[in-house]
Amino acid sequence: MEWNMSEQVKGSVLIAGGGIAGMQAALDAANSGFYVYLVERRAAIGGKMAQLDKTFPTNDCAM
Amino acid sequence: MSKHPRYVDTEKCIACGLCAEKCPKKVDDEYNEELSKRKAIYIPYPQAVPQKYAIDSDNCLYLKSGKCRACEKFCPAGAINFEDKPETLSLDVGAIVLSPGFTTFDPTGIRTWGYGEFKNVITSMEMERLLSASGPTEGHLIRPADKKEVKRIAFIQCVGSRDLNKSHNGYCSSVCCTYAIKQAMMAKDHVKDLEASIFFMDMRTHGKEFERYYERAKGLGIDFKRCRVHSLEPVKETEDIYFRYIDDRGKQIETQYDMVVLSVGLCTPPSAMELAYHAGVELNEDRFVEFSSFDPVGTSRPGVFSCGAFSGPKDIPQTVMEASAAAADATRLLRSARNSLTRTREFPPELPIDAEPRIGVFICHCGTNIAGVVDVEKVAEYARTLPNVVHVGRNLFTCSQDTQDTIKNIIKEKGLNRVVVAACTPRTHEPLFRETLKAAGLNEYLFDMANIRNQDSWVHAGQPEMATLKAMDLVRMSVAKVGLLSALPGIAVPVNQTGLVIGGGIAGMVSALELADHGFNVFLVEKSNVLGGQARHLYRTWKGEPVEPALHELDARVRSNPLITLCLDSTVAAAEGFVGNFKSTIVGPKASRVVEHGTAIIATGAQGYVPEGEYLFGSSSRVFTAIEFDKLNMMGDRRMKEAKNYVFIQCVGSRCQERMYCSRVCCTHSVQAALELKEKNPDGEVFILYRDMRTYGRREELYRKAREKGVVFINYEAHQKPVVRAVEPRRMEVEVWDHILHEPLRILTDIVVLATAVIPNPATAELADIYKLPIDADGFLQEAHAKLRPVDFAADGIFMAGLAHCPKPVDEAVAQAKAAAGRAISVLSSTSINLEATKATVVEANCDGCAMCLDVCPYKAISLVSVQGTAGKLNSRVEVNLAQCKGCGVCQATCPKDGIFVAGFSLEQISAQVDAALAG
Amino acid sequence: MSFEPKIIGFTCNWCSYAAADLAGVSRMQYPPNVRLVRVMCSGMVHPKVVARAFEKGADAVLVMG
Repeated sequence: MEWNMSEQVKGSVLIAGGGIAGMQAALDAANSGFYVYLVERRAAIGGKMAQLDKTFPTNDCAM
Repeated sequence: MSKHPRYVDTEKCIACGLCAEKCPKKVDDEYNEELSKRKAIYIPYPQAVPQKYAIDSDNCLYLKSGKCRACEKFCPAGAINFEDKPETLSLDVGAIVLSPGFTTFDPTGIRTWGYGEFKNVITSMEMERLLSASGPTEGHLIRPADKKEVKRIAFIQCVGSRDLNKSHNGYCSSVCCTYAIKQAMMAKDHVKDLEASIFFMDMRTHGKEFERYYERAKGLGIDFKRCRVHSLEPVKETEDIYFRYIDDRGKQIETQYDMVVLSVGLCTPPSAMELAYHAGVELNEDRFVEFSSFDPVGTSRPGVFSCGAFSGPKDIPQTVMEASAAAADATRLLRSARNSLTRTREFPPELPIDAEPRIGVFICHCGTNIAGVVDVEKVAEYARTLPNVVHVGRNLFTCSQDTQDTIKNIIKEKGLNRVVVAACTPRTHEPLFRETLKAAGLNEYLFDMANIRNQDSWVHAGQPEMATLKAMDLVRMSVAKVGLLSALPGIAVPVNQTGLVIGGGIAGMVSALELADHGFNVFLVEKSNVLGGQARHLYRTWKGEPVEPALHELDARVRSNPLITLCLDSTVAAAEGFVGNFKSTIVGPKASRVVEHGTAIIATGAQGYVPEGEYLFGSSSRVFTAIEFDKLNMMGDRRMKEAKNYVFIQCVGSRCQERMYCSRVCCTHSVQAALELKEKNPDGEVFILYRDMRTYGRREELYRKAREKGVVFINYEAHQKPVVRAVEPRRMEVEVWDHILHEPLRILTDIVVLATAVIPNPATAELADIYKLPIDADGFLQEAHAKLRPVDFAADGIFMAGLAHCPKPVDEAVAQAKAAAGRAISVLSSTSINLEATKATVVEANCDGCAMCLDVCPYKAISLVSVQGTAGKLNSRVEVNLAQCKGCGVCQATCPKDGIFVAGFSLEQISAQVDAALAG
Repeated sequence: MSFEPKIIGFTCNWCSYAAADLAGVSRMQYPPNVRLVRVMCSGMVHPKVVARAFEKGADAVLVMG
């Protein structure tokens, strides 16, 4: 019965967009026991945040 | 799904850069906003993941014209593969999360700003790159036109936001005010005596700690001008930018700047619109994903979720919260398949450690954060002279992915058995470097960090020589300690897969339900005898959704869920334990009980400020707080029915010396209430006296509508607050300085509504004490990291949600509640957890069982045992329970015989650091 | 030549060391005379270590936690 259930439901998540939102969602889903496909259009993840110099209000480095 | 060809085999590419060096084709670098060039074969940016090259097929000479292949010829790894073809993949997944992000508004071709026409008008994204140490100018603030250092800079706000004429974006982009402040601040950091002005309509610093940031910027001499700038003109000879504006005294001023930054807004990129179309998700008229306040990461299609700027412009912490929330919601549907497709990560077996330390020291520039103050080259030279140091390296960003690979390789090549990283702080980065050690087959505890940023370059910015000497001392201290460290075995403890949620408001209920829906048992503790918290006083969200029915539904779902144990009239009186293994004492109306749980979520809410004595509050029966007003208005109170004129006064108790924060929800609430009053009675007069109208995001629509309907908005300054006087038995006069007429304005009104502050709940501080959690200067809970860990505490296993974190509206509280649950689930879904190995260790030869340490141990982790000694005698000595021991070392300081020490912080190791500190 | 004291500070990882980090984040400026030693609790600082710091030439010792 339990086996049938997991046959029906896929234990995987597709995340479209590898910026800070997609990366966090991917980490949380994976750490909770699910296989994650993280899909990014560009050649690297990081999104817009990777282009930022510092972040407010602590002026911490965005990297 | 289609996978674009990369033309580089990522398994083979060693990121040596030879291909890019030989590639003859130069392309504008989009990472640097096209302010610099890259090659047609490239790595998008230095810290990029993966750290592998890719060929840009739109620009590659071979792919375009069939000639070149230089990269293929020179690649030493044979990684170039021009046969790479686009692949179409079909994935069968349980749920989808959409997080395509935003693009910035493109002001090209709009004459008003002259962007694209005048070289010294740039966008804020370009400014971001100019300020960056890894940017096209290496962080030197020079103008694009003539490379002259910028001495006068202006920021123009709301470019492509709050503007239906020049853009189609009526909404506020929410982040530009604070990012402009940041850029102005950083620019002043780069150029001494820089003059920076920000031209704005409303300063929207509504986020946590943003108001204090704004005040700090004013203190640094950044000039804030409330006005609309009409059009920018170039000055022919100098290429400066000239414009006119009306100042706060109504005078027309002409001014000139070296460079103008356009604070461009956030919009949904066409590719994301396409994605929405393919995913079958509806977008609203502003091209963002439409959502409900009670389901903030849901979309119009079941099983598809969204997070981040795709559902409206927002800042990083809100984005991160939504991401955790979306992960929680997406996986909730799949809980029966948990762990069915995952694999666990394997690390190489640990290498044996030679007796002789071989230490590697890696010194971080942190862009200019460290290298801008500390002479890192000198520190590196010095490190080479230290005993047992066999390798010294310097890195622009030691935390980047490629540097981890480099460190890993150097550990192997040079046979390092100890590593020191001199960089930011172990509190944020130690875990990352430890992983790197593990990946290299080294025990993760053979590592130490020298804090040469937070505790050196940042705090001695004006004394570079002293900071350099200090950095050398700190490196020497770390090297001395690391040589004495030994490999520590990992410790795993079981996880109690039960959650505890404290606070039964909207956030607490949503968190508890999320945990229960994932299949975990939850204790929900509420102090009062009802659920709902502050939301019981709200009657609709900013989107107009009624709150009460939603609250009823949540209440019913909580009460009927068999996995939730509801404890009303209850408080938590005591707690002990650690992640995976907490024990909390819940005191109820009849009895108290101890519950065991693996995680805790603090959602203790907030309160409304009572403006005793302000604006006749308490002495007039016609002056109300916003919550009182809503209630009476809804009940059809006579005073409201008879009233014709209303005055709303904003920022009552917020943004002042005692509470230097914005309460975030009050502007939107007043505008919404005013709009409704005006719709009901168009002849009545409704005034809103405000300091900055903070209807951020799509709330701006309400503000625009209110102005259209004739609600009168009057701006006042903090030093010139409005005055309310009782003039007639049932009427009051409100006096406020009119900035347009430049004279005091007196408004006769029937009702005054005070938009009062959201203030912390005193119970939050009590709980913080019980769980040893930090509270910020305003009395709200302090998150582990303002941007990246907005629901976590520094202590593992405890999370926060809702108003206890900072003031926020319903949709944001729900998102955070789901996020907190999601973070908790990532702990609860494992049956065991690995603990720090920094624990008390008994030295059997020295311990004589005097048991002095037993009494002082705050965690009751030590017990006395009998052991078989020599000559058949029974000896006493102490034993440590590793799961209970926190490694605080009070035992170590108490023991008179050196019979117990904390691994990694032994007397010998601390003494070595002290000696090294004083040896310079 | 004015007197420049050498100060050793023992700071708790969970509070004062974190506070010293925060001072950096907030860009507070202070004299560079102090060298901080990170400990897991100010309670682990044995009197012997304090005495040793003075012996080795510290002018002052701060234990913060």
